[in-house]
Amino acid sequence: MERVATGTGAGVSETTVYDDQIVKMFFTATTVWALVGMLVGVIIALQLAWWPANLGLPWTTFGRLRPLHTNAVIFAFAGNVCFTGIYHSTQRLLKTRMYSDRLSRVHFWGWQSIIVAAAITLPLGMTQSKEYAELIWPIDVAITLVWVAFGVNFFGTLARRKVKHLYVAIWFYMSFVITIAVLHIVNSLVIPATLFRSYPIYAGLTDALVQWWYGHNAVGFFLTTPFLGLMYYYLPRAAQRPVYSYRLSIVHFWGLVFLYIWAGPHHLLYSALPDWAQTVGMVFSIMLLAPSWGGMLNGLLTLRGAWDRVRTDPILKFMVVAVSFYGMSTFEGPMMSIRAVNSLAHYTNWVIGHVHSGALGWVGMISFGMMYWMIQDIWKRKLAHPSWATHHFWLATIGIVLYTVAMWAAGLMEGLQWRALNDAGRLAHPIFLDITTRLEPFLWLRLLGGTLYLIGAIMMAVNFWQTIRGPERPADAAAVPAAA
Amino acid sequence: MSQENDRLLGHADEADGIDEYDNPLPDWWVGLFWLTIVWAIGYSLHYHVIANRSQERALANEMAAAEARWPAEEAATRMSAAELDVTDDAISRGRTLYGQYCVACHGVDQEGGIGPSFLDTEWIHGGQADDILRTIVEGVPAKGMVPWEGVLSPTQINDVAAFVISRHSEATGRPIADIVGEGADPPP
Repeated sequence: MERVATGTGAGVSETTVYDDQIVKMFFTATTVWALVGMLVGVIIALQLAWWPANLGLPWTTFGRLRPLHTNAVIFAFAGNVCFTGIYHSTQRLLKTRMYSDRLSRVHFWGWQSIIVAAAITLPLGMTQSKEYAELIWPIDVAITLVWVAFGVNFFGTLARRKVKHLYVAIWFYMSFVITIAVLHIVNSLVIPATLFRSYPIYAGLTDALVQWWYGHNAVGFFLTTPFLGLMYYYLPRAAQRPVYSYRLSIVHFWGLVFLYIWAGPHHLLYSALPDWAQTVGMVFSIMLLAPSWGGMLNGLLTLRGAWDRVRTDPILKFMVVAVSFYGMSTFEGPMMSIRAVNSLAHYTNWVIGHVHSGALGWVGMISFGMMYWMIQDIWKRKLAHPSWATHHFWLATIGIVLYTVAMWAAGLMEGLQWRALNDAGRLAHPIFLDITTRLEPFLWLRLLGGTLYLIGAIMMAVNFWQTIRGPERPADAAAVPAAA
Repeated sequence: MSQENDRLLGHADEADGIDEYDNPLPDWWVGLFWLTIVWAIGYSLHYHVIANRSQERALANEMAAAEARWPAEEAATRMSAAELDVTDDAISRGRTLYGQYCVACHGVDQEGGIGPSFLDTEWIHGGQADDILRTIVEGVPAKGMVPWEGVLSPTQINDVAAFVISRHSEATGRPIADIVGEGADPPP
């Protein structure tokens, strides 16, 4: 089950046995949480289009299931994807086993317990009311402890590495481990009142600013940098091509991590936040465009000489579309942070469309590509249904397009109607509910897009299940990418 | 001018077999990066120093422009019944407005539905023109009727009231003058 490699660093020749068991555990958890998170997403999409789906019970209303969806897809699905890829690729890139098997298990079981705790407390209505940081303080403490275990394990592995050169993926992983720790701790500082309730140490506007410094960088350092790290390892491995430019990877990495951390105030444009702070959030968002596109360029240009295989290999298809959506949503983001655009887009469904083109398009698709590649590597099996991977790719791609187009149209419509004035200088659409009901067709279309995406993920899970139960590949056969 | 050289750095055995090219940064990418940096500095200077903008000033400008284009109508949403305009023109404009704003609750022919009917002699909140105007302006939030002041202009409120009064008069035979005037309560 475990792979054996020969270390060559510092002239030492010894045999390293990688811990692939932990990779398989995270891989399995990822697959399960992907289905749960996306299913809850489809349920709340249905609730928005058809209110009786709220069931009239407090535990199943949109207000409680929505944070369950976001926590499940971000911290359960995307989090476990990152851990799967990091535990798999870090050992190979550093030619050493993880620092501590025990800490790896503490990390795994701790993280899964936190997810279960979230799935129980959020429907019960226990929340800190901070977006993407809803979990109550005892769970926040647990997250901190588990993250420290992960950090010690990760940097311990780095300290014991058998290579001198640190590959670019490792820098991205480091930014993930360090920054998420800082963000989580600072944003979660509260004074507990009871076991389930607490009060933030920040008041009013400061609280809002800290929250969006956290919220925006959760996108930056939870859903972007670790996934760029995964891209830098799995895309060249799957394409079997050298990375296009080492220099570009350095410059865009430092550009990204330096600029990202300032961009949070763009969530508070036209609020009580001082104008200068709003300007900081806006201009740093604009300056993020090129560093973000650096990652897209390095990904796409690495495929030079492998484009013929994109036509047949579903793994490369997933990765190309992922990187393209990354480029698209990192263009859209800076545009939406411009004051004039934001005054139209803010509070509309356009924002939901933007975040899903990043989440479904970038995070989801790069994860699927990585997982289809990795399952054949760590379980040493060929994919049970290679053609299903291609079907999954098309279902997901069409699903994303329907989703984002529906949300763009809905967002523009409501944004324009909210502000429209008639000839007499009065609101052209004075009854808010009228605008809301006009959204209905777009909400159904979004539900359709999300459902297609979920069906693709279910096909992937069945495919994985049957692959793992299938016969092992002969030891000498090389890892073969799934051919459609 | 940067050129792709596709020279390998030779790190592959230190990165699990992944090699990297020593290619330079694409020129257009470097240009884009500089452009956004220069723009960021220029925008900040322009917004805060040169044009000296702020969101408060932006709001003040927008309000002043609106004031110039749509001067505030003379005082009175609290118009009194004495000023009520019940001409055919007003009634006709009121019919259109009723179809937009009132029909959902009070019915196509004012026969009632979610809200009460205007075709009978029953007035829950008073049946004189003053009462009807007040009900439209202030709404009955406790029962789900929104205040229309601010949504409808004073003239529009006049027109809706005129339409309701004329239709009520038509249906019940109560003279308009009796509703608008300072007369007694409607006959039982």
